[in-house]
Amino acid sequence: MDRTTKEKMRLGIFVLVGTVFLVIAAYLIGNNQDMFSRTFTISTVFNNVNGLRLGNNVRFSGINVGIVKSIEMENDSIIRVKMAIEEKMRKHITTDAVASIGSDGLVGNMIVNIIPGRMSGERVQEGNQIASYSRIGAEDMLGTLNVTNQNAALLTADLLQVTQALTQGKGTLGRLLNDTLMAGDLQKMILNLKQASGRANKTIADLNAFLEKVKFEESVAGVLLSDTIAAERVRSVIAHLESSSIHIDSLTRNLNTTIGEIRHGKGAVTYLLKDTTLVRRLDSTMLHIQEGTARFNENMEALKHSFLTRRYFRKLEKQARVEEEN
Amino acid sequence: MMAKAQITEGIKDFLIQIGELSHFAGRFLREAPKRPFEFNELLRQCYSVGNRSLTLVGITGFIIGLVLTLQTRPTLIEFGAVSWMPNMVGISIVREIGPVVIALICAGRVASGIGAELGSMRVTEQIDAMEVSGTNPFKYLVVTRIAATTLMVPILVILGDVLALFGSYLVEHFKGDVSFQLFFNKIFSSLDFGDLIPATVKSFFFGFAIGLVGCFKGYNCKKGTVGVGMAANTAVVMASMLIFILDFIAVFVSDIFYEL
Repeated sequence: MDRTTKEKMRLGIFVLVGTVFLVIAAYLIGNNQDMFSRTFTISTVFNNVNGLRLGNNVRFSGINVGIVKSIEMENDSIIRVKMAIEEKMRKHITTDAVASIGSDGLVGNMIVNIIPGRMSGERVQEGNQIASYSRIGAEDMLGTLNVTNQNAALLTADLLQVTQALTQGKGTLGRLLNDTLMAGDLQKMILNLKQASGRANKTIADLNAFLEKVKFEESVAGVLLSDTIAAERVRSVIAHLESSSIHIDSLTRNLNTTIGEIRHGKGAVTYLLKDTTLVRRLDSTMLHIQEGTARFNENMEALKHSFLTRRYFRKLEKQARVEEEN
Repeated sequence: MMAKAQITEGIKDFLIQIGELSHFAGRFLREAPKRPFEFNELLRQCYSVGNRSLTLVGITGFIIGLVLTLQTRPTLIEFGAVSWMPNMVGISIVREIGPVVIALICAGRVASGIGAELGSMRVTEQIDAMEVSGTNPFKYLVVTRIAATTLMVPILVILGDVLALFGSYLVEHFKGDVSFQLFFNKIFSSLDFGDLIPATVKSFFFGFAIGLVGCFKGYNCKKGTVGVGMAANTAVVMASMLIFILDFIAVFVSDIFYEL
């Protein structure tokens, strides 16, 4: 291989490499603009396109699916935007999809976002028009942000007060955070609670064990709980008890009235109960009667010995003796 | 009075130069399509302009990409826009920096070479000898050289761009941990045919201007060996100036076609 042939070869490589790079760049740029894939066109209308330009990307659920093909003013307030969408995305886009204009990042290019519909509509066809909704402009957004900021400022001020109060130990929460004694107490309380709950657990377990041991069927409790005849009897006993108690009640009431009458009435019993003078008199009368009877006995003895009545008494003695012997 | 005369003389000279250059360009356009084509000489010149400049252009392009990225990085970081680096570097290199810087380097290397070569041929009367021997020196020397620069400079620009972008990628990769795929995806998502086509078209014009000025200065060389140096020197100056003027025009023209 002579020198010129080598030079020609190198030149060939040089030119080829350069051309290949140019073609690759052109292809990549073209690919980016969907120039080589089959596309179909759909359109939408906006009132304001917010600076959308030809060739801006169209995104479906965040994926680049096409570019803006044309932007035409239809009348003074309607702008028709036609979009070239990749053919392979047709099956995913339905007629109820909604287009909106957004920006790619805070300072990026404008883009058309197609938000998927509920998949209830039909698939879009060439030239279909889909609905659109106007995105709030940057100014509206900044206005909202302003309000949000003001609210945030108020909130942070309040929060500052709260945190200051907390750190200074004011209020219940502050005390909770700062009071070490309280923390100790709380700890103890929790410990006690824990112990108590442990014990309660144990008790319940014991109770459970006990209940398991009891033969419900044969025990008094079992009979009480399950025997219907016994229940009937108990019920009748209770009914009798009730009627008895009613009788007792009326009896007590009668007694009460009787006692009341005795206390407040003017009968002999009351007199006997209340008049102490009478009692004393009765007492002395009894004494006199006793004395009288003693003297009468003496008189009777004297009569026995008197000649006038001696015969009568001997006769009585004789009669008594005859009856004993019989 | 003297100064005024000098200025008038200067303007006159300048206008004469432009006129002669235009005439020279017209002659090239007339001669270029005519047979016989000096194909082998064209290839030799292409090799000389293209391959021989490749190392210089490659290193320069690589360093431009590297430096541009390194210099812009802190500012972009300050704005929190460092993720836009590929877009910025891609657009600036492909659209403007690549073509202009590489054309200027070619002007320095190629225009001066052509100017000196043709100048020395002129002063040593080789061109006259060719005319006598029946060979068309304009066709053999000028047309091939201008055609070679016109064809080779765009390719050099493309290769220079690629190396510049690669240099930029290296910085981003090692400093910002950006993957190759992401970097070039971002570059090509930001690029448009409105960036690539005008840049490529204008680099043809840059190449044409470099060859034209180099040949013009060398072919019309006078004043002996001193003139050779002057021819080489003025060829570089004039070519560089022409590159900027053409760039300026290219911006306007591409603005009409692509609404930048």
